[in-house]
Order: sequence, then C-alpha cells, then structure tokens
Amino acid sequence: MPADPSPVTRAQLPALVRDIIAEVLMVAPEEVRADTALVRDLGAESLDFLDLLFRLEESLGRTIPPERWNDYVQDRARGEDLATAITTQLVLEFAERELPGQ
Amino acid sequence: MRERVVITGLGAVTPLGVGITALSHGLRQGLSGVGPLTAFDCTGCDVRIAAQVDDADADLGTFIEQPKLTKHMSRAALFGAAAAAMARRAACLGRADVDPLRLGVSLGVGGMGPVDLDMLAGEARAVLEAARESGSFDFDIPAFAKAYRAMTNPISALRGLPNLAASHLSILHDARGPSNTLATACTAGTQAIGEGARLIRSGAADVVLAGGTDAMINPVGVLGFSMLGTLSRRNDDPTAAARPFERDRDGFVIGEGAGVVLLEREAFARARDAPILAEVAGYAATSDAYRITDERPDALGAASAIRLCLADAGVDPEDVDYVNAHGTGTVMNDITETRAIKQTLGAHASSVPVSSTKSMMGHVLAAAGAVEAIICVLAMTDGFLPPTVNYNTPDPECDLDCVPNTARPARVELALSNSFGFGGQNACLLIRRL
Repeated sequence: MPADPSPVTRAQLPALVRDIIAEVLMVAPEEVRADTALVRDLGAESLDFLDLLFRLEESLGRTIPPERWNDYVQDRARGEDLATAITTQLVLEFAERELPGQ
Repeated sequence: MRERVVITGLGAVTPLGVGITALSHGLRQGLSGVGPLTAFDCTGCDVRIAAQVDDADADLGTFIEQPKLTKHMSRAALFGAAAAAMARRAACLGRADVDPLRLGVSLGVGGMGPVDLDMLAGEARAVLEAARESGSFDFDIPAFAKAYRAMTNPISALRGLPNLAASHLSILHDARGPSNTLATACTAGTQAIGEGARLIRSGAADVVLAGGTDAMINPVGVLGFSMLGTLSRRNDDPTAAARPFERDRDGFVIGEGAGVVLLEREAFARARDAPILAEVAGYAATSDAYRITDERPDALGAASAIRLCLADAGVDPEDVDYVNAHGTGTVMNDITETRAIKQTLGAHASSVPVSSTKSMMGHVLAAAGAVEAIICVLAMTDGFLPPTVNYNTPDPECDLDCVPNTARPARVELALSNSFGFGGQNACLLIRRL
C-alpha cells in the first residue's frame, strides 16, 4: 500500500469524502451535499462504489473489505431503498469509522 | 433479390487526424501520420517509430455524451466511441429514428496483454512491491496478489475486456439489438463491417454501428510485434518507413485509431431520407489454415477471399476500379497479395490501381479494415485514388499500379478492400458507389 505520508484527520474527512464522490461520479464538488443521494441524485452505479471504496482506501491508507461497507449500508438503510439511503453523509460516517485509530 | 445494405455515415480517428475531413485531406495530400514514437520512453528499443493519434488534435471526450463512461474506456474504446458519434451525426440518425431493438453494433477490436500503458505500469508496480516485501525476485504470487489488491482500482480491470468497446457503443446509442465483437486482428475491422451487413440482411437489425478500433502503442504491443520481426526499423526516417510494395520495405509501422460507419437496410435508409454514400455490395471471409503468421505462399487463402467477394457482389474482375490493399509493407505480405490480386483479377490486375494507405497512416490493426472501407467511400465521394507514398524503387514481384506517391483524380464506382490478418484470416469488402 503506497503510504500516505500525512494521515488524514477527522476534520479533513468531509472535504475528502466530497471530493472523492465528485471525482468518482464526475460531477462538480458543489453538487455533492450532505443529503445528496448518490444513486438517486448523481446516477451512481455498483461500479462507482467499488471505485469510491478504492479511493477511500488510498486516502486512509488501509484496506477496506467490501463486506464491511455492504454490512454498514444494510445496517444504516434499515430496509430503505439504497438509491435514496446512500447519501454523502452516510459515506462520511463510514469513513469516520474507518479512520485509522478508530 | 437480396436486401441492399448501404453506408450512411462515416467516423474516424486516425494518425492523419481526428475526423473524416482530416482523413480525406491527408490522403489526398499524401501526408504521413508516422513519426517518432513518443507514447512511452522507447530508448533502446529496436523500433522507435509509430503512427500515433495526436491527442492534442481534439478533446475526444467531447464526443462522449455520458462523460462518466470514459472512466471505463480504454484508449481504443474512446477512439471507437468518438468515431461512432461522428458516424451517427453524419448519418443524421436521431434517437427517435430507429427502434433501439433494431439498432446493433459490430466492432472489431484488438490488443495484446494489458491494454493501456497505465495498466501495464500498475502490474509492474505490484510486482516490484512484491519483490520488495518478499526480498526476492522469485515470482511470489501471494505477495504479488496482496500488492496488486492494494494498489489496483477494481474498475480498471474492466477496460481490458474485449467486448467493452462495443458495450460502450450500445450504452451511448441505446443500441438494444445484437452486439458482436470481432477479435480477428488485422482483419477485424473488415469483418465487423461485413458481418454487420449480414446482420442487416438476416433481418436481425435495420441499422448497425460497424467498425474497428485499436490502440496498441504500448511497450507490450510494440515489443511484441518488433520481436516477431514484423515492424520497420527505419527509425532515422520515420515518414519514409511505411513503404508497401516498394523494393526496400522492411515491415509495417504500428498505428492506432478507429473507423466506424453506419450501415443501414437500404429501404430503411430511403424511408428516412438518409444521406446514402455507398453500398456494401460484397463481402467474403476465408482462412488460410496454414501458419500463425506466414501467409500461404501460393496466395490461395487471400485469393479465395477476393474471388468469393466478387462472386458475392455478382461482379466481374474488370468491374473493379480500385483496390485498397492490405499492403502492410512487410516483405511477404506485399508479394503474396500481389499474387492473389493477379490470380483473381487476371489481366485486369496489370491496370487496376492498387494502393496501400498504410503507407500514410501505418497499420491501425483491428481498425485498419474499417478505416480502409471508409477510404474506399471517400475515394468515391471525393473523386480520388489515394496514393502509396514512399514509392521510390519498384519491386519486380509487386508489379502493380500502386498509385505511386501522388493521389490521382478518378471516378470510382466499385472498390475492393483487402485485409489479411495474423492467424490466417482473410476478408474482403466490395464497396459500390450509389
């Protein structure tokens, strides 16, 4: 794993997550708000989540098994349609849990 | 009386430029798209020349109506998608003009090994990281797997899937009809158009986006062809390197690019008042069944494709006004092709113009057959015979009128396009002016 020389801080996460989502879905960062639903609003598909997780891994400097993400999403969604349930905020909270040291 | 298949739109990305206008201009001026190989650092390589698509020519991404798809596009897929967008635009085929289920795709693709430079570099990094971790240069697969998993974006693997370029066309054009990917090397582009025409004649589609695309100017592709002895080594004089039929030829120049045409059932095209450029009058495909790279010295494989193509169109040899040769510029192909042309066109072979446009744009591999079919159409619409450039000294074994060096004004009614690929596939198209 290419080591990230300066570890990401909790305070940097919101901007990081927003920028990753913007890059992955090829939209302007301004379009990525806390309540933006990645599938419903930005057209995210399954491949995009693989891309997103990889970029999170790179930024956080750790491997994230896809099952951890999938389980987290299922848990948080509680039966809600994933097209609306997966929001920027949800991704941010997942990233916070994945921060080394959490 | 069989259904006629017509060509209503053309699109191309080639070493002569982005778009059909640039292509026609380059051919008529006898320009060269060959130059020093700059796509990667080829210091110390035996071959340091190539026919590259100049990325600065145009932002190809502007042709892609769903930008997010470009993340999943290899360089070849991007070329193909751009060419297809041009062809469709030229054909004036709107979204509502065809039932999606009646719109198909037929695409020739190529590649050998990791399809793009960044994929090759990624694998190399993982191997190096594994060596660093394990402290040894033995190929430790678990260490490689760990490094590869950590370093590689999962979505990048998809770019290497051979059918992905065609998938992109389906998605971009809402083409819900049949989608065929042909991987027959240098023949793929010709076969894609011929088989696309067959899709229409069989009733499976009314319109087909048909063509070929390839982008193999990366270390594996260049070294591979170079080590096989098929590439010209005229590194000191790149524009003079591609010299088909000429006495001092020493191999082909690797190129990259895409050519796509819109094929339509004639009645369908006429009903929507489409711009009809030409007809796919004949097509045939045969196999040498001989050797992996060497062509049959008796030229029977190539000759059979030409002969069957003429028969498919119901024309006589004397009806052929122009032959766009496979003409790679290898010693053997040009001799074999000359034999095949003489065997099939008989007396007419001594007067029919036969040129190789690979002299100007190098060998664009899986795209070649499609670009060359487009060139046959341009010869008709723009009234000229493209030259074989770099023709200095004749080779007695290739004694054809190869339209040396300068384009010739001409009225072309029927053009034959040949493609003979590694693996022994042969395919020919007859394009007829309408």
